[in-house]
Amino acid sequence: MARSWLEFKTDAWVQWCPGCGDFGILNAFHRALAELDIDPSNLVLVGGIGCSGRITYYVKGSNIHSLHGRAIPVASGVKLANPHLTVVVAGGDGDLLGIGAGHFVAAGRRNMDITIILHDNAVYGLTKGQAAPTLPSWWQTKALAGPNLQDNLNPLLLAFASGYTFIARGYAYHTNQLKELIKEAIRHKGTALVDILQPCPTYNNIMTNKWYEERIYYLNEEDPEWNPVITSDHDFKEKAPRILEKMVEWGDRIPLGIFYKDLRKDTFHTRLEKVMPGYTKHPPATRPISVEGKPIADPWTVFKDRVVKKPE
Amino acid sequence: MVDLTFIIGGPQGGGIESAGQIALKTFVMKGYNVLGNREYQSNIMGAHSYYTVRVKEERPGSVRVPVDMVIALDAESVFTHYKDVNPGGFLLYDSGTVNSRPERIASMPKPLKQRVAEDLKSRGLEATVAGAVKAAEDAGVKAIGLPLRQLLKVVAERSKRPLSSVSKTINTMGLSAGLYLLGVELDYIKLGIKAQFAGKAKVIEPNIIAAEAAVDYVREVYGDVESLPDGPHKGRERMIASGNDLVAMGKLVGGLTVQTYYPITPSSDEALYLERHRYYELSEEAREALGLEKAGIAIVQAEDELSAIGMAIGAAAAGARASTTTSGPGFSLMNEMISMAIMTETPVLVSVWMRAGPSTGMPTREGQQDLLHTLFSGHGDNPKIVLASGDHIEAYYDTIKALNLAERYQTPVIHLLDKYLASSMISLDRHEIDPGKAVIDRGMLVDNPGPGYLRYKITENGISPRARVGTAPMVITGLEHMEDGFVTEDPVVRDMMMEKRRRKWETVAREIPSEEKYKYYGDSNPEVLLVSWGSTKQIILEALNKLQEDGVSTGFLQLRFFNPFPAEEVESILGSAGKVIDVEQNDLLQAAFVIAGYTGKRIKHAIVKLNGRPLYDTEVVYGVKRILETGEERVVVSGGA
Repeated sequence: MARSWLEFKTDAWVQWCPGCGDFGILNAFHRALAELDIDPSNLVLVGGIGCSGRITYYVKGSNIHSLHGRAIPVASGVKLANPHLTVVVAGGDGDLLGIGAGHFVAAGRRNMDITIILHDNAVYGLTKGQAAPTLPSWWQTKALAGPNLQDNLNPLLLAFASGYTFIARGYAYHTNQLKELIKEAIRHKGTALVDILQPCPTYNNIMTNKWYEERIYYLNEEDPEWNPVITSDHDFKEKAPRILEKMVEWGDRIPLGIFYKDLRKDTFHTRLEKVMPGYTKHPPATRPISVEGKPIADPWTVFKDRVVKKPE
Repeated sequence: MVDLTFIIGGPQGGGIESAGQIALKTFVMKGYNVLGNREYQSNIMGAHSYYTVRVKEERPGSVRVPVDMVIALDAESVFTHYKDVNPGGFLLYDSGTVNSRPERIASMPKPLKQRVAEDLKSRGLEATVAGAVKAAEDAGVKAIGLPLRQLLKVVAERSKRPLSSVSKTINTMGLSAGLYLLGVELDYIKLGIKAQFAGKAKVIEPNIIAAEAAVDYVREVYGDVESLPDGPHKGRERMIASGNDLVAMGKLVGGLTVQTYYPITPSSDEALYLERHRYYELSEEAREALGLEKAGIAIVQAEDELSAIGMAIGAAAAGARASTTTSGPGFSLMNEMISMAIMTETPVLVSVWMRAGPSTGMPTREGQQDLLHTLFSGHGDNPKIVLASGDHIEAYYDTIKALNLAERYQTPVIHLLDKYLASSMISLDRHEIDPGKAVIDRGMLVDNPGPGYLRYKITENGISPRARVGTAPMVITGLEHMEDGFVTEDPVVRDMMMEKRRRKWETVAREIPSEEKYKYYGDSNPEVLLVSWGSTKQIILEALNKLQEDGVSTGFLQLRFFNPFPAEEVESILGSAGKVIDVEQNDLLQAAFVIAGYTGKRIKHAIVKLNGRPLYDTEVVYGVKRILETGEERVVVSGGA
């Protein structure tokens, strides 16, 4: 039986500005967790720093509010230690694509079973509106002293090039559709990105709700045949051009939905299981390391390559 | 009493390290203790590198120059070491290189070329290998030329292989000729070769032939030598391991379950050695008790040091026993996470293998320049445990200890090590790394936290029960927080939490026993008190013996914990001595700075080594005597090539 989303509410005051897209994300996330029937004790939500990182106090879980840019490494450590937990990263575009970009890329190479929720509003909200990596060049949002001189990057393409096996984009105010995307992302076995476009009513006076609503559309609504699932190299070859075409579409029309779902790759814990059978059953977080306070290994036998043996 | 030191030098990639290890194994099988140290440049192939081996009945504490023998496999090695041999010692060189001139050797550093040319000119000798050999002979060194090219042909003929395929045996030829001159029987040399290349018959065969050819040759030109008696440890199964190896062993025995790293010299070899053994067999007792055959350590090469420590902290929060390993430059990147680990009260062990800085500095050379860096790492008020191991065996047990302290006190622990420990190897006995002497203490780790769990519960000793993330709702955060981990900026809670963390720190300082924090050796109320830390320990202990023999009453204060620091004890020891001399391998005299900070006592004299080579016992003796004679404040010693 599914849980009530109320189980995931905390009693902390949600301190985002009125009308913030984060409310939509929070609502969709609460409901996704409830529908997936995840035990809050086994959920680890790891936040970065910024408005988005505060979500770690608003979702009941076993959460870590980490450092600016470092949510992915910390979450990766949690998952490495215990692959049985549901691990979700929440971070802003400045956090994940600016200061934490190296980790965002490296995550794709491991395909850990982690979901990354990218709060994408094109500005640094909590430091009062500076340009973030997804703000197009020559645009001047209201806190900027002049037009933005740096180009925007494409999070979907970056994730694709980095090896993410699930790539989706949602819109913060479409909470029903967003809830489904988050559920799909968490269900996916591998590193999943949900890029969530969201207005920042306080600092982004260009990319407003109206601006988004005039542009966004859903891939599967426009094309009922849309199928982003890749199960073979043949699939990939056939579907990649169309997927990439949709990933680069931006401007007058902005597509939403699941762009890419690649089922060909092992997760990181499956890879570890292959080199260390028993890893999943006895993961680093819980495996015994002592017997009555004494070590379980004898260095003289484990490290016998350092023992000098008189040759026969 | 046997006490032999020799150097084998040649181009990087020319098998210098394996020659050194053959020598170590040979002498261990012959019943001696050994200390081997590898000196190399930040280069993969071609630059000069050398291996120093010291052989004694008891474990040698220091390498040193001058040595009893230099085996120079190429011209550059002759130019680098021709002044490093004791009178009566041997200089072996490739007789095919006698006409080589320093200016023609591309790999040779320009300043060395200049120094060699000037030195030989001042002696009226020509700037060639022949000139350098003559300079050594003039100093009473026995020089023996080895026709390495001709000998290679012999090896090719005897092994029925093409010349190109046996060219890699040059190191074995040089080494074998040298070992023969030291009185090591050919049979032992063969054992050393077989042990080094165990399981690789195709490598063993030509190397054995090379050893025979070299020994035949040197016997013919030099004659018979008195054989070296077998040492006292013959017949016992022993181990040869580096500091890198022993820290990896300590981590595995200490129950590590996650290690992360980003490649950096001189820490990488620790991570790689551990990785090679990451999936290991449990001891028999553990197999029975747990019903488990094997256990694994999840090891991840991260994309950078920020991630390496971030992952380790995440893993630790989830309940893994976690560590990362790095050097000074990598630790620079880890600073923000040290601060987070302190605020979130997450255990993590960081092994910091220091090397010569600042900046990229000399990546493969010795230095002790990161004491203040690590002690004061991280922003905000930031107490963390910082301890420095004095030698290989200490490094092993300290690693296990550090893992315990990290979990017991829910704090980062910085374990200071250095390049000399990393790449020097010692012989050791089984009981010296006995896991039975180690305990595993996970502190207040809670398996079933239950409802209402408070991650940052205020307690008398400042330590809160620690549940794994993923077992109960909680928040772990780098922001100031309430007992339940929820963020707050309330001034009253802030004071309470600062106070809680301070009480925890008082608990740490109280519970770590004084005798762990420092060690005292030598005479009480001595005329000379040497104060030092880290890998200088065994070097200073050898120097201390020599000084005592020479009638100088000497004591040695080895500082081990810099946080918590044994301020009162140190103050009283400093007051008990005549002249206090600080011995460090950094320019700022960082330990003396810490001592001054805690005790108000300024140490006036120092022996300093900064050239990136390990300190020698002989240099400590020299420095002490010089300070006693001249009253100089600072003696800079600079041995080593």
